[in-house]
Amino acid sequence: MGFFDEPFDLMTPPEGRVEGVAKVTGSGKYAAEYKVNGLCHAVLVGSTIAAGTILNINTSNAKQVAGVLGVITHLEKPVVPGMADEEKIKEARFGLPVFHTDKVYFKGQPIALVIAETLEDATYAASLVSAEYREDAKTVDFNGTLGFVSLTPAGKDRGDITALNSAAHSIEAEYNIKAEVHNPMEMHATIAEWTADDKLKLFDKNQGVNNVQRTFAKLFNIPVNHIEVISEFVGGGFGSGLRVWPHALACIMAAKLVKRPVKLMLTRPQMFYSVGYRPASWQKIKLGANADGKFIGIHHQAKNGTSVYENFNEGITRVTRLIYNFDNLKAEAATVPLNLSTPTWMRGPGDCTGDFAIESAIDELSYKLNIDPVALRMKNLALEKNPETGLPWSTNYINECIEKGAQMISWKDRKAAHSQNIEGDWNIGYGMAVGAWNAGRGNASAGIQMQKDGSITVQTAMTDIGTGTGISMQNIAHETTGISKSKIKIELGNSNLPPAPSQGGSNGLSSIGGAVVAAVNALKLKLAEHAALQNEAYKNVAAADILLSDKGISLKTANSQFFISYASLWEKNKLGILEVEASSGPGAERQKYAFCSSAAHFCKVRVNRKTGKVKIERLVTVSDGGKIISEKAAANQMSGAAVGGIGMALMEEQATDERLGTLVGNDFAGYHFPVNADAPIIEVAFINKPDPNINPQGSKGLGEVGIIGTAAAIANAIYNATGKRLRDLPITPDKVLLG
Amino acid sequence: MRPFLFSKSSAINQALAKKNGTTQYIAGGTNLVDLMKKHIAEPESLVDITSALPAKIEVTAKGIQIGAMVRNTPLANDAIILAKYPLIAKAVLAGASPQIRNMASTGGNLLQRTRCPYFYDVTTPCNKRKAGSGCSAIPGENRMSAIVGYSDQCIAVHPSDLCVALAALDASVKVQDKSGKTQSIAFTDFHRLPGTTPERDNNLPANALIHSIEINENAFAKNCAYVKVRDRDSYAFALVSVAAALNLKDNQIVEARLASGGVAHKPWRWLEAEQYLKGKTANAATFEAAADIAIKDLRAQSHNGFKIPMLKGAIETALQQCLNR
Repeated sequence: MGFFDEPFDLMTPPEGRVEGVAKVTGSGKYAAEYKVNGLCHAVLVGSTIAAGTILNINTSNAKQVAGVLGVITHLEKPVVPGMADEEKIKEARFGLPVFHTDKVYFKGQPIALVIAETLEDATYAASLVSAEYREDAKTVDFNGTLGFVSLTPAGKDRGDITALNSAAHSIEAEYNIKAEVHNPMEMHATIAEWTADDKLKLFDKNQGVNNVQRTFAKLFNIPVNHIEVISEFVGGGFGSGLRVWPHALACIMAAKLVKRPVKLMLTRPQMFYSVGYRPASWQKIKLGANADGKFIGIHHQAKNGTSVYENFNEGITRVTRLIYNFDNLKAEAATVPLNLSTPTWMRGPGDCTGDFAIESAIDELSYKLNIDPVALRMKNLALEKNPETGLPWSTNYINECIEKGAQMISWKDRKAAHSQNIEGDWNIGYGMAVGAWNAGRGNASAGIQMQKDGSITVQTAMTDIGTGTGISMQNIAHETTGISKSKIKIELGNSNLPPAPSQGGSNGLSSIGGAVVAAVNALKLKLAEHAALQNEAYKNVAAADILLSDKGISLKTANSQFFISYASLWEKNKLGILEVEASSGPGAERQKYAFCSSAAHFCKVRVNRKTGKVKIERLVTVSDGGKIISEKAAANQMSGAAVGGIGMALMEEQATDERLGTLVGNDFAGYHFPVNADAPIIEVAFINKPDPNINPQGSKGLGEVGIIGTAAAIANAIYNATGKRLRDLPITPDKVLLG
Repeated sequence: MRPFLFSKSSAINQALAKKNGTTQYIAGGTNLVDLMKKHIAEPESLVDITSALPAKIEVTAKGIQIGAMVRNTPLANDAIILAKYPLIAKAVLAGASPQIRNMASTGGNLLQRTRCPYFYDVTTPCNKRKAGSGCSAIPGENRMSAIVGYSDQCIAVHPSDLCVALAALDASVKVQDKSGKTQSIAFTDFHRLPGTTPERDNNLPANALIHSIEINENAFAKNCAYVKVRDRDSYAFALVSVAAALNLKDNQIVEARLASGGVAHKPWRWLEAEQYLKGKTANAATFEAAADIAIKDLRAQSHNGFKIPMLKGAIETALQQCLNR
């Protein structure tokens, strides 16, 4: 690997983002910020009941408001072809058949859409829409309902878990995690414009423009290339943008109805039930080890909430099969239908839920065994091969993550017994946990446009939701071309650009990196083709032998006289803009190796005995993400994920009211996620060793592992501080006090 | 938001002249705008009083007068406040966010409405929002609700931090009515308990505006503390909060003040505990005994039993912090 071998210069601060200036100066446009001629505004009206049938909707008061252009309900609407009847709705697999049903499945479900000249008019008119319902029985109480659904096997058993019965030490415990909501800073929004009867242009907040394109092409029965999706700037996603949600369809329907471009932006309260959330979950773990700490096996049972109109299984037990050697393993799962909107993937989906239970149980077991939690993990890590598939890991440095993290937090300062470190009203404790994630890669394309002056623009349809995709593409293009970064422009988040997968599951950079390398190779060959007309030495050369610079092309194997400037190449060949496009994706290596990213989290907490307040004093996150392509963006991912982990551990909770069938406190006063005051400076480090097989640049995705294990590290630290084993998240001060 | 008429008044009597049943005043707007967006407040006309009310902090013969339009940020940074009434600054800084504090006014702080989630959800019954519709919090999610002074019609709590400090310091509220008459309302009488009229938060006369807050000179500047226990460390309402102030001679408590937020429909004074502290030696045992007195008759809701031990711990912590100069 020749990548990024330049020594790190401490005098030069690590680079920021290619889009950084546009973001901080406001010139970068988020979906709702585009100026479109003739734009009008749409506002959703939600149901006031959680289950039942709409008998009647009164829209006449709304229609009388000055400026109102139209109202959509299930009774008056432009029919979406892909939802024309029950059968098509089923086929479409869109989830909620918004405005194509009289059924209400959850409170807040859109029952009407008001379109008006201004947002103010539309908002006011929307408040005047009322409905009559026939109410049905409903439930939003996950813990009260989960007993009614039965577990089914989640994957194949390994060995026989009756072996646990002979374990020298075992733990059997239940874990509950409340629903959490993504709440990206930018609320979801769509501007829809029908530029012709069968041509649609969308400015939309999402994590994958091609996914949006495909979804609406299918629903409206129009060719994919008749839909243009622009998502150049995305203010965070955390998984909420991986699906296409009803509000985007509603906006497109509105544009059809009023024959004008329409903007629909969700309000913050609507964000809590319109774009998914991490479902509430219950888990039971039985974990056993022999006297010297070798794991004998694990029985992992999990249930998560879903909606009544769609099944969403979070995959909580997936991670059980990934990190440790369990010769005997049984995993079971179930979903619990509730009168809530459908949940979805949220950062570290499934794995961060499952990992909390496993890593809490291992910590508990370590005290029983009287073995240090670090040593206990080291003894049982599956370091050679994926314990599920048996394939050897391409690379897996989880042990190095643990070693480095222990050193950074000074793990030796931890007292082996709980409640031994006390300062006044505060108990101090240390905890740790690990996390891992199957490191993926998808097929992606990238294009390069080159100008006569040697400047290039690297393009892809992939979005950059804040992960640093843009800066990483620039770094890879720089490393592979030798062209200065200042001469490399990045364009992304537009469906007119070369197609790429959605940005989720920590696959973004892993996928697009290979495409950039492929496009660079295509550019080199194309330039060589033109150069061959001036110098035969360029005939049939391999991309690897071609050298580019800011000024021109030359050959690795030849002397400098073969150098041809771009200027002369352009003039001789009468070139305009040179364009190439190439694709890249996973291949045979996936049959030979298993791939994972991993992280170790270490935490030092202070717990106030009098008030139950938990203060996180230090949080260390060391991860194996292969080669780090853009250090600052990668560190930003890890510290952001760690802060998300603090939220999961200590405060994030979407409360519900069973009697009223409603969410409680669906705003930022009611739903707490951490702010700066809740987090120390997150101490981030990387192992930074390339994975030689996963993709050309050797990087493995990082977004998920930053949060997988964080909550357990915090809960384990609280135990070390206080002796209170808290198995239900979030661990708010009341739980600490009464625990 | 319902459309409304907007006007601006540059003098208090001019603003008062516009008062009728469908008018509301807007100062910082940090609560009212939320209420209007959610159709909880639907004024037909809105009068901007940011230029109509006093915006100065003035030293008076008896103490200090804080104009109703003094915003939270300058209030918390004021040199006189910091020197002589630091409890006020501590409480203000424990509330909201810098952006909100830049906007929020002193008068508005007193008049902010509860943050009970049901009050903000117009699809649910709420006696405070709609008299007689029922209380959703009593059988529902009441983790944040009151543990003292509540009624069978409302268990909401007052959300202010500043008001807890003002109650502790025996401030008074100077109000002016349409006729130009002013009167002074003792701070502890300003806010109401819910009783059978939870829709009424306070005793501000219908035709009056808050002019200013007055605080008499006191001996609490040296030994005071504000402790707020909350789910996150900034921009969150109190689970419980405690304003504590001691007048110490050597290590003897000459006089004590103890008030709490997050426990009742109004800022709550722990008078019996204050009485107990008087004349005692300031130490952990005394503080614990005082806290025990404060919590002895409290009755929690179905989901907030934790508030009672938490309050005890917060009172002890606050009293202890009074000693850390």
